[in-house]
Amino acid sequence: MLLVCGTIPQDNIAIITGEARFEKEKLFIEDREIPCTQGTAALVSAACVTAQYFKSAPPSVVLAGDTGRGKNSHALYEYLEKNINQMQPDVLLMHYILPVMGLMKKVHAAAMKCSPKPVLMADASSMYAAKAAGLGPQFDVFTPDLSEIAFLADPDAIHPAYISHHLFNTDASRIPDLIAAACRQKSAAKLLIVKGSTDYIVEDGKIVCAVSEPDVPTLAAIGGTGDTISGMAGAMIAAGFGHAKAAVSAARANRLSGQMIQATPATKIRSIIAAIPPALGAAGVSG
Amino acid sequence: MLFFGKKEKSVFEGGGLVLFQAVEQAITAERILKAGGQETKLVAPPAHLRKGCDLALEINLVEKTVVERLLDEKGAHYMEILPLRGAGKLLDIVKTRYFDGACMVKAGNMKLTFDTATGVILNISGGGCPDIPYLHVSMLDQKITEVERPREKGFTLCALMLDRAFAEALSIWNGKGT
Repeated sequence: MLLVCGTIPQDNIAIITGEARFEKEKLFIEDREIPCTQGTAALVSAACVTAQYFKSAPPSVVLAGDTGRGKNSHALYEYLEKNINQMQPDVLLMHYILPVMGLMKKVHAAAMKCSPKPVLMADASSMYAAKAAGLGPQFDVFTPDLSEIAFLADPDAIHPAYISHHLFNTDASRIPDLIAAACRQKSAAKLLIVKGSTDYIVEDGKIVCAVSEPDVPTLAAIGGTGDTISGMAGAMIAAGFGHAKAAVSAARANRLSGQMIQATPATKIRSIIAAIPPALGAAGVSG
Repeated sequence: MLFFGKKEKSVFEGGGLVLFQAVEQAITAERILKAGGQETKLVAPPAHLRKGCDLALEINLVEKTVVERLLDEKGAHYMEILPLRGAGKLLDIVKTRYFDGACMVKAGNMKLTFDTATGVILNISGGGCPDIPYLHVSMLDQKITEVERPREKGFTLCALMLDRAFAEALSIWNGKGT
């Protein structure tokens, strides 16, 4: 089972749990509709359609309502620390949660006590917290974009807003150098999906695949197009795919989704998600 | 029955420091931040960051935006907010990219794209902190001149980066930017 943990932009919800489903460009957790926006909602939606495509179990979620105040992010960490052992996910994917290093360490310690140990994935602020807490190599998958791989390459930064200027100014041709630095400094997870104009799949410090076709430059502008890659990859790993194969397939399908709907800078993420099943088909991805 | 167990050690590691001129300013700021729901603790600043007095407040650096707002609203005095390690200055590099009919402005890990003909915000992408989906929903499909600045509504460093992208986008829309 894939368990996705993150926040949704509503202050009136503390914690909600349950199975997710995506129908007609709308996301539901059990019977509650959640707006399909950029962030964890987009990731969960992408995981839903991917799981459905492969006829595997739908993702389960633990979501907290948090508009940035952080209170319910704290509650989410505490919920996970207490309950992860009973939930026994095959894949634990942590996403938009206020980064708190000490609480991330506690959740990680609790996850380590699960038997078998879940595949640990982190994207967005959960990746920031895991890196800042020195837990990078303990994670199986990180999914940084270009500014976030520069953050992983900076040994001191605890957030991408504080990375050294020389790292941020790096052009795309030097991404392999940033990847090498992140791995050397033990800030990286075992597998990285570095999302950008070319997506790099990195396994144990080595670039094993670069995906650059089809080239859909407008995807960079659309909020949630990184979240969809993480959601697809998580669902495919939970369905039994090897990590690198899931990563490459997710990167290809994301591009094909954008191409199929002729994405513009005004395209909303729910339209990209709705196109994922035919894109997986066009990418020739099979279990 | 009384148990005299070892008290659990605090796990708070915020990664940021608020520096002050005087001890009483630090104590006042601690009270304001705690009343505002922020996790914080009084610490001695490390030698390389020491300025002013010998007392500082450790905060969750990611929440710099809301910490500044809480302190400013109450008129609290502080010198500056710094990360405990690494680059002491926030990233201030802003990049722009044009699509057909749209302009994307990138600041740090945040991107804001607006329609160059109407000034409507078409998309916000990047980032990872929980206020970003909220700001995304609040700002999307609104005219750039008619929305509140992200730093007024946001709480985190991602919101601050989005604010920088927003400021540059607004400047471009007003004909002053690059």
